[in-house]
Amino acid sequence: GAMRSRAEVDATLQTAKLNPAELLPVAHCLSFAPQAGTGECCLLQLEPGLCAELEEGRSLVIRGEKDEQAVLCSKDKTYDMKIADTSNMLLFIPGCKTPEQLNADQASCNIIHSQIAGFSNNYWELRRCRPKLKKLRKLLMEDPYEGPENQKDKSLTFSKYTTEDLLSLIQASEEEILHQLQVIDACKIEGYWRIVEFDYEMKLLNHVTQLIDSESWSLSKVPLCTCLEELGSLEPKEMIEHILLSYGRKYIDDAGEVYFEMNEDKICRAIAQMLLQNAVKFNLSEFQEVWQQSVPEGMTTRLDQLKGLALVDKSSRPETIFLLKVEDLPESNQERFNSLFSIREKWTEVDITPYIQDLCAEKQTVGALLTKYARSSMQNGVKVYNSRRPIS
Amino acid sequence: EARCLSRSGGAGGLAQWVLVELQGEVEPRQSGGLGGSVLGDLHYTRQGVPVLIVGHHILYGKVVQLEKPFAVLVKQGAGEPGPAQPHARYTVTALIKTKLLFKTRPKPIITNVPKKV
Repeated sequence: GAMRSRAEVDATLQTAKLNPAELLPVAHCLSFAPQAGTGECCLLQLEPGLCAELEEGRSLVIRGEKDEQAVLCSKDKTYDMKIADTSNMLLFIPGCKTPEQLNADQASCNIIHSQIAGFSNNYWELRRCRPKLKKLRKLLMEDPYEGPENQKDKSLTFSKYTTEDLLSLIQASEEEILHQLQVIDACKIEGYWRIVEFDYEMKLLNHVTQLIDSESWSLSKVPLCTCLEELGSLEPKEMIEHILLSYGRKYIDDAGEVYFEMNEDKICRAIAQMLLQNAVKFNLSEFQEVWQQSVPEGMTTRLDQLKGLALVDKSSRPETIFLLKVEDLPESNQERFNSLFSIREKWTEVDITPYIQDLCAEKQTVGALLTKYARSSMQNGVKVYNSRRPIS
Repeated sequence: EARCLSRSGGAGGLAQWVLVELQGEVEPRQSGGLGGSVLGDLHYTRQGVPVLIVGHHILYGKVVQLEKPFAVLVKQGAGEPGPAQPHARYTVTALIKTKLLFKTRPKPIITNVPKKV
């Protein structure tokens, strides 16, 4: 139909018994755009910070396969997406001005014809969530790097992932993915992200620790150059450097030489894993003895180096220790707790914390998680936690 | 695969739209859907109060600055209309930081006062 004229608008005002003198001179005539009802447009409610990011020109990405619950990612955060219904009707209107804008813009008595682009009674709501990173390890473990001699025939398996591949498959922001790759000591080989297979990693580490020993270097001053010279004939230089980066902290001295300060805790922990993976469980005191003997000269083993890697059973006689890696446990909260309670019926907070720490949301504490997913009781004067529901 | 929310408007800023929130449902006067039909006239009083004349009703509302702004997403390509589908492709077309909230009960416009007989 034809657009409304000023005369028609004024006539309507008169019929409505509104005094034009009390109104701003500019009026909007609102009509529905032709495609308004087609559901092409929808609303996304923005969490703090996201609006500014969009205005600065940064993009948001929706990630998730058809069988996954979609998440929205900014450059560094991940959000769950959920539809929120409202009992009201929301109309979204381009070119509609607010009173401030009209006052600032001294137009004469006029009409703005605004077309309603769409309407809805729901919108996407966002809630910050933990990035879903378990899949990252799973993908990279499809084909761990076992060293140059053990390269599988490339035509048989091609389970290799570039950064772009990972960005399209993992429900997490780019920064969260890159950070996690660093945490798990992944390395880029020929453009693909790889996890080093554990036995090969220990072989590399062993080369380095033996060299440190034979050269009598201080553990906090291991020279990169010499390592590459001495070990470069045994293993690829990139892998030598990678193992130093994984198990040490890189620094440059005043003369510009690159050194590594070796991470004692991490080395002891890796050696413990190497020992523990060979059996279901070990006599604790025997293990501790062998473990101390196995680590490089000058390093001291401590059980707290094994948080999230191994669990001590103080109730058995003799006490035992077994491998339990947090990264092998389920990713979702309820499933993680179910799994932990099926391994052990009652947990102290000290024992369970390393296995639930990663579940904490942005400002959530371990205590809050335990309150929600466990039930507490006293046992021999110590507070313990067990499942809220019967475990079959 | 990941679906980037691409932006319309290129290097320039995103358009700013306004949200109008009405109670109940909007129904077309004639059959054939709402596309193309008139909703009504929107005025503001000199104090900045929005006034909406819809059909035979006057609605008074208020201007609200949204604590959580909205992004308007437009679905790319052909697809089934209906509730938002996360696995479709979307473009961020505009931002909405302001809404006109009409919550008061509409006042009917009485056009003909019957004469006393």
